[in-house]
Amino acid sequence: MSEAELRQHHLRVVKMEEEAERLASSLGALMTGTAEALETKGLVDKELTDLLNENKKLKYRTNILKRRVAQIGGKSSNSDTILSPETFKDQMCNILGQLEGIFSRAIQSAYPEATSPVVQIQLSKHADYQCNAAMALAKSLKKNPREVGEKILNSVATNPLIAKMDLSGPGFINVYLNQDFIRQQVTNLVVKGVTPPPTTPLRVVIDFSSPNIAKEMHVGHLRSTVIGESIARLMEFLGHDVLRLNHLGDWGTQFGMLIAHLEDKFPNFATSSPPISDLQTFYKESKVRFDEDEPFKKRAYQAVVKLQSHDPKHIKGWEEICDISKKEFKKVYKRLGVVLVDRGESFYQSRMEDIVKSLGAAGMLEEDEGRKVMFAEGADIPLTIVKSDGGFTYDTSDMACMKQRIEEERGQWLIYVTDAGQSQHFKTLFACAKKVGFYAPDRIRINHVPFGVVLGEDKKKFKTRSGETVRLVDLLDEGLQRSEEKLKEKERDKALTQEEFIRARDAVAYGCIKYADLSHDRARDYIFSFDRMLDFRGNTAAYLLYALTRIRSIARTAGVSSEEVVTMAQKGTVEFDHEKEWKLARTLLKLPDVLIRITDDLYTHPLCEYLYEVSTVFTEFYDNCYCVEKDSSGKIVKINNNRLVLCEATAAVMEKCFFLLGINTVSKM
Amino acid sequence: MEVTEKLKSLGLSDQKVKETLKNESLTVLLADIVDQAQGKGELNKSVGNLLYNLGTKLPRQFHTRLPLLVEYVARAQINQEAKLTAAIKFVQDHAMKDFNTADFEKACGAGVEVSQDEIEAAVAQVIKKHKEVILKQRYQYNTGPLMGQVRAILQWADSRKVKEEIDLQILTLLGPKKEEDLVKPVKKKTEKKENKPEVAQVQHTEKQSLTMTDLLKTVHFHAPGQNHQTEGYVITENTSRLLQEHLKITGVQVRTRFPPEPNGILHIGHAKAININFGYAAANNGMCFLRYDDTNPEKEEEKFFVGIKNMVEWLGYKPHQITHSSDNFQQLYEWAVTLIKKDLAYVCHQRPEEVRGHDPPPSPWRERPIHESLQLFEDMKNGKFDEGEATLRLKTMLEEGKMDPVAYRIKFIAHHRTGDTWCIYPTYDYTHCLCDSIEHITHSLCTKEFQARRSSYYWLCNAVDIYCPVQWEYGRLNMYYTVVSKRKIAKLISEGFVRDWDDPRLFTLSALRRRGFPAEAINNFCATLGLTGAQIIIHPDALEACVRDVLNVTSHRAMAVLNPLKVIITNYPNKGPTNVTVPNIPGNDSAGTHTVIFDEEVWIESSDFQEVEEKGYRRLTPSQSVGLRHCGYIIQVQEVVRNAQGGIDHLKVTCHKTTDANKPKSFIQWVSKPLKCEVRLYERLFNHKSPEDPSVVPGGFLTDINTNSLNVLSALVDVSVKGAQVLQKFQFERSGYFSVDPDSMPDNLVFNCTVGLKEDKRKV
Repeated sequence: MSEAELRQHHLRVVKMEEEAERLASSLGALMTGTAEALETKGLVDKELTDLLNENKKLKYRTNILKRRVAQIGGKSSNSDTILSPETFKDQMCNILGQLEGIFSRAIQSAYPEATSPVVQIQLSKHADYQCNAAMALAKSLKKNPREVGEKILNSVATNPLIAKMDLSGPGFINVYLNQDFIRQQVTNLVVKGVTPPPTTPLRVVIDFSSPNIAKEMHVGHLRSTVIGESIARLMEFLGHDVLRLNHLGDWGTQFGMLIAHLEDKFPNFATSSPPISDLQTFYKESKVRFDEDEPFKKRAYQAVVKLQSHDPKHIKGWEEICDISKKEFKKVYKRLGVVLVDRGESFYQSRMEDIVKSLGAAGMLEEDEGRKVMFAEGADIPLTIVKSDGGFTYDTSDMACMKQRIEEERGQWLIYVTDAGQSQHFKTLFACAKKVGFYAPDRIRINHVPFGVVLGEDKKKFKTRSGETVRLVDLLDEGLQRSEEKLKEKERDKALTQEEFIRARDAVAYGCIKYADLSHDRARDYIFSFDRMLDFRGNTAAYLLYALTRIRSIARTAGVSSEEVVTMAQKGTVEFDHEKEWKLARTLLKLPDVLIRITDDLYTHPLCEYLYEVSTVFTEFYDNCYCVEKDSSGKIVKINNNRLVLCEATAAVMEKCFFLLGINTVSKM
Repeated sequence: MEVTEKLKSLGLSDQKVKETLKNESLTVLLADIVDQAQGKGELNKSVGNLLYNLGTKLPRQFHTRLPLLVEYVARAQINQEAKLTAAIKFVQDHAMKDFNTADFEKACGAGVEVSQDEIEAAVAQVIKKHKEVILKQRYQYNTGPLMGQVRAILQWADSRKVKEEIDLQILTLLGPKKEEDLVKPVKKKTEKKENKPEVAQVQHTEKQSLTMTDLLKTVHFHAPGQNHQTEGYVITENTSRLLQEHLKITGVQVRTRFPPEPNGILHIGHAKAININFGYAAANNGMCFLRYDDTNPEKEEEKFFVGIKNMVEWLGYKPHQITHSSDNFQQLYEWAVTLIKKDLAYVCHQRPEEVRGHDPPPSPWRERPIHESLQLFEDMKNGKFDEGEATLRLKTMLEEGKMDPVAYRIKFIAHHRTGDTWCIYPTYDYTHCLCDSIEHITHSLCTKEFQARRSSYYWLCNAVDIYCPVQWEYGRLNMYYTVVSKRKIAKLISEGFVRDWDDPRLFTLSALRRRGFPAEAINNFCATLGLTGAQIIIHPDALEACVRDVLNVTSHRAMAVLNPLKVIITNYPNKGPTNVTVPNIPGNDSAGTHTVIFDEEVWIESSDFQEVEEKGYRRLTPSQSVGLRHCGYIIQVQEVVRNAQGGIDHLKVTCHKTTDANKPKSFIQWVSKPLKCEVRLYERLFNHKSPEDPSVVPGGFLTDINTNSLNVLSALVDVSVKGAQVLQKFQFERSGYFSVDPDSMPDNLVFNCTVGLKEDKRKV
């Protein structure tokens, strides 16, 4: 090797050593996170610098995004959130919501400039689901829909939910669900029962039923009670912390005349409980005296003042009356399977005084012909906080009550179930609460759940033949009677034991009344008809309860116990060879999406529709797929385990729906 | 009627019509005026002339009053120039809701006709007052002032008629001109001077440059609150209210601001901006803000903030308040939302490269629904878009034709003041005027390039419905032989051509300070530039001249020998060193004196000795003696002592007292027992006037470096400079002005040559 060559090699080695050193120091700096320092040493190459810069920017951006997510936090509904598939190992999956999330994200990454694109996912005849977002998007972007569809399709991140996708027509994206995923979900249905989809738990305060003390519950209270109970059950099922409140009218001026009347009729009421058998009559008597007897009226007013100043004797009288009333209510709630915490207006007396003071101090009250009223933006009429005589109103108690529910009960979601006639009142109330500040819409959700009036079959207000308001107790009694007649007509009394018959009668009676209410768009008036609700055909509780007993009997007649079905399911080998099997499975797994949708608008009728759909799809399945094959002699030749699992899953889903509607099911009917 | 016909109907000559046609907007306006005037009255030459003047003189923003004014002119109710001027002034003064027709007519004398009798009476009255003087001076009498006096009595009298009447009455009074009346009077030139007081004259002879304050007192900007009277100002229905509120807040005080971007170092061009803004406020008892325009998060560094403040203070100005554009980020953001809601801004997804360059395609997102833009802007703020994926653009056009300037862009970079709060940052276009408005700036003074942004400036303030300041432009200051761009200076530093941002060869303010330029000189220099709109490129000599003017009367003298030649006085008359007293500033006794040492061994500038005689060489030669300044001796060469190489090692000389008889041809500086100092001499950094001009320097500015721009010498300076402070300035006699560099050590002073004594002729 010549000298020159040697020198060249030597130089090359030196260079390489330098390079190695440079790389080592770069690596070291990167590992210790002191990469910026390299720049000053002139050791960084362009690529590294660029990457470092990009990394820095991405970190910055992540931080901004995270902060935003934290800001909107609780507000993001489940449908926008794609959850890790791990989540659904133990929980039911809101498939539609997940798909919407997956496609929103795909659209966002494909077309960041598109604003709030409508991501519509529909059931598809050709596939399981179909995403039609490309059409509308293409229109707004002035692009070819098929191209847009293609680009969205390619932007969908892999997810265990989806088996495959293809593009059809002008840009529809067909989505085929992954069978393994569905299998696992169906298995779970049988093994673990119906589980709620993932939800962020909130403190929910729901106010429903809320009758007035000393008056009887009438048909109007029925709706609030039935709807409220169902919503409360749904909330509890989803994992929320629910406080069910019965906002009793126990603090009105009517107590003056009631106590005055009590003093006359049962002078020693303070020591021994007055034996009032019929509070309704007692109320009417005192009302007559109040209207006709001037000195009595005066005493009645004084009694109000004394009661409100907590005079012990008056308080005692008031308590007696309340107790009698509450006992009556309890009976009705028991029959309907309703649970409530009584908390009357009286509870808020001191809080009303406080809020009047603080509203006054904050300068939010205005004088209006002696009254003190509060205006708020977005409300046409003001709240009357203090009457000209210094007394409080419903407005006052509702304000105090809302504040208590937010601040003391730590309610994050308040629900009021009342008739639609109070919509204006609640609108004003919410506006004022917002103005005062204890109601911050970005942190607290409040819903007024209004419903229409109950009409008779003549489409006029529901009344007795004599034109009086229908007492709820009477209505329920009639229901039992009509149910009994219907069952007897079907000769169920012969097929069932006495005990089973009574259970069926009650379930059908109360179930029908509730279902009829809950299956209608609550915002509308609804026509009360025993004939229709007791029909054993169509979308009625009577039919659905019967359908459920039939499904339950399939395994029973095959001599397979439910434990055995669970064991079958645990193998996790459910197959969906028949299209009706597949369709049934998909239908059953829609429940979480239905429930989440209800939490958006608190309309219960979609749940009834879903329940009916399940029974219809099941019928299709049952007609096409033998679960138990018998020979001509009726001997069982083959039991299709696979299908029994599906039957069990169907029963579980229907059972849960009934439960959420507040309806008791029976095993035989 | 053809446009040409219309213009002719105003009585314009064919030539004038041709010229007018070239000005498209004026032509349209005049044609419109003619249309409006049709049928209102006879369109004669006089009316036409007034209409033409109306069209050219009425500022644009008052054109809502144009029909009214045309009507008055066409009906000959405004029938003379004076009335028209008064009418236009009235319209300007009552731009808003306070316009009242009766007051208007009164103010401009609409419809007022002055009769011949009234004129006669008024003229008679005036002439009677001056009768004696007139009779004495006869036709020498200047009748001019009489006109004014008559007009004072009869405001709307026709001047031609008044003139005729005056001439007539004078003629009546004096009779026809005689021969002596025709002799021209001899002008007494000295008359004026005699009236001037003595003191004033003395002051006048002293060289006194105009200061910035003097200059800015003469500038005719609008008065605070009179914004609407300025050219191009846009009046909206809220202008009146907003101006009222503005005046309440400012107390009718002038407010200006100096708004540098804190991303670099200030240079000589900024000195002009600082002087104009701070100077104008000072001249009007107003206030001036120092606002860091820190909207761009990428570049800000703490040292720039401090540097800017230091330079402003060095120039002698104190900001009323130091503010930051970033203080207003939240407000600016809210206004952006307002603009979107008004459909005046939208989110655009055109890529930066798409909208770059000339005449880019219009945004396809311009007409998107408001709610969409609102949502997207929110998304931008929340980090949902990557950099460059979305911008917020304003629905307006800049004068230069640029459509829809960007107001916000995304940057995932922390801001030194707002931290990681934002990932959208406002642009200069968007921020600047809104911050001016927030600070209630009365005069937004800026360089001429921004004239094109003026209308968008006004548009934006009005779109947001806030107080709108008035923008005034002045010409930008550029320098020959230098570069000022931050990037280019950074390049010079990194390539080692200069040492740092304050290298005395640069024209950054810190460099000028280090070189020894007094702040006062820079300020005076700016004042000499005036406030014209023209862009000026200044030769450094002009600035250096101002520096000399200041240093000449402020810097103490010292003697320094840059290239020393040792001289031994063989007949040194004293025992040991003696002290010589030297005036600090010759001719200014109040500046005091200092002492230097005189000893038998002295050093002189080697160029002050020449072995070979030469015609015109007046200093030391073997046969020619020379005087040593201040010490009263002349020296004469005795012997030239040579070193081994044959060069001159030192001189042996004899000295003699200077007398009237042996006056030397010249005196030279010298030092004895001197301090050894480093002296840095500078030349221009570039060889060419415009190093950035590719036609002159095709290879780029880096190829134009003058490699001899720095010359470091080891010099000998007299002891008077001992202990001098950094930046203390001296005149080294016969050499130039020098300033103590911060590199100095107590035992080794470093001097920068600030400027030579005379203009440097070495390079041009």
